[in-house]
Amino acid sequence: MIETEKLTKRYSDGNYALRELDISASEKVTAIIGRNGAGKTTLIRILSTQLLPTSGTARVNGMDVVTEAGSIRKSIVSIPQEAAPIGILTAFEQVKLYLVGRGMSFKDSAQSASMALDELDLREAKHYPTDTLSGGMKRKMFVAMALAANAEVVFLDEPTTGLDPISRLEVWSAIRRIHSTVILTTHYMEEAEQLSNEVILVDHGRSLEQGTAADLLSRFRGKIRVEINGQCQDCIHIGSLSIKYVDREMADRYIDMGFAIRPITLEDIFISRGVTIES
Amino acid sequence: MNLKFTFLLAWYYGLRTVGRGPSYIIASLSSPLTLLFIVFIISRGTLVKYAIVGGFIGLVASVALSSAGDAAFMRLQLRMQDLYVASRVNPSDYMLGLTLSYLMFSLPGIVLYSILGYFENVFTLPDVLALAGILALLVVSTSSISFIVSSSIKHVRNVWGIAGIMSVVMTVLPPTFYPYTFIPKIAIYALSVSPVTPAAVLTQGAFGLSPLMTMEIPVILVETVVYFSLARYLTRWREK
Repeated sequence: MIETEKLTKRYSDGNYALRELDISASEKVTAIIGRNGAGKTTLIRILSTQLLPTSGTARVNGMDVVTEAGSIRKSIVSIPQEAAPIGILTAFEQVKLYLVGRGMSFKDSAQSASMALDELDLREAKHYPTDTLSGGMKRKMFVAMALAANAEVVFLDEPTTGLDPISRLEVWSAIRRIHSTVILTTHYMEEAEQLSNEVILVDHGRSLEQGTAADLLSRFRGKIRVEINGQCQDCIHIGSLSIKYVDREMADRYIDMGFAIRPITLEDIFISRGVTIES
Repeated sequence: MNLKFTFLLAWYYGLRTVGRGPSYIIASLSSPLTLLFIVFIISRGTLVKYAIVGGFIGLVASVALSSAGDAAFMRLQLRMQDLYVASRVNPSDYMLGLTLSYLMFSLPGIVLYSILGYFENVFTLPDVLALAGILALLVVSTSSISFIVSSSIKHVRNVWGIAGIMSVVMTVLPPTFYPYTFIPKIAIYALSVSPVTPAAVLTQGAFGLSPLMTMEIPVILVETVVYFSLARYLTRWREK
């Protein structure tokens, strides 16, 4: 269970990363989505006890991130955004080292590391230095840490950023095998729809909406997205592109006019609010 | 304390790394061996014992000081520190583990200098014990300085430059490879800011190469405690 109340983070340069953010997450997998700079990483770093908030409160399983950080650390795993392995060490060594750092014995950590890496199809690769592994395999090594640690809550900060489509699917599959409560951040709408039971949309450090993907998309029921190159009335403009939401029955008319028609995704929640996001 | 983590980190990041990357050994040896060669040529062999004894000090100190780059790289680029902050590892476990790793990086050099020292008849058993004690204090104090500096580095682009400058200034300027009696006492006091200075002065005294300057004993002890304490409190673990 994750809760924040009026959570604010202001960096020394005066910029706000979070502004009185109120969220509550209790589902098996919660995705926090938003564009670059929305405050996702700052939120994860505060919840993971890596960063202190400026004001407000944040709780992980009822424990305060400022006053009970030590207790929280025993029950979480947090894989930082763009975490990279030490290339000269093997995946097995790095997962084992992480587990020993969490208090496991040498024997148990070796066993758990090996099992987790095998489960994530790294059986062959686990004894090679990680600088010889693909980007997807490296990310899976970090997911193996989360799997082997068997923590109550796992934070994954943009776990698939920069990966090719196949590697991304492999990492998704690995994430699905984590038994813990997972909080992940992403700016890929598809990732949030595929992996999470609940979605929290953030922008400029504030929560915009929260719910299941189906709930959030319900207001678009029966609609499609029309993309028009150029300006149009009653459209949302993103660069030179104009976007309009129309009833599905009208799709043929827009196709005949040469416009692109797209199905509704979570991306459209952002677009309809005037917030653009990568897809 | 999680000593299992500390020793495993040292085992993996120190010994395994040296085993898999022989260039680390050559890199750590290149500077002291070059200086040994230069001292040998310039002094026509008369100061070679100073250079061998100084080689131990220079090697351990330069490896530990240049590790500031490593520690900053692991924090800024690999995000290793963030990974361990959100676990049960505490900053002392992490710092000690990395410190021991750097000591491992120095081991091949220490073996080489031991062989050179043996052939030059530099050692007696008490000398070896004194040297071991001085090197232990030196590795803790210089690694602590590394952590203080590394935690203040904000951009990866500055990592190796700062570490390189620090390593050269703090190990080559002090009387590591030449008799400390060659420079005025006031300079010794000024250079004592670097723990390499008391370490080199004491080693030269312990090996009978120069008069023993006993006042440097409390200097290195106090510096080790002060630098370690500063590292403990100034090193950014959880960010503000």
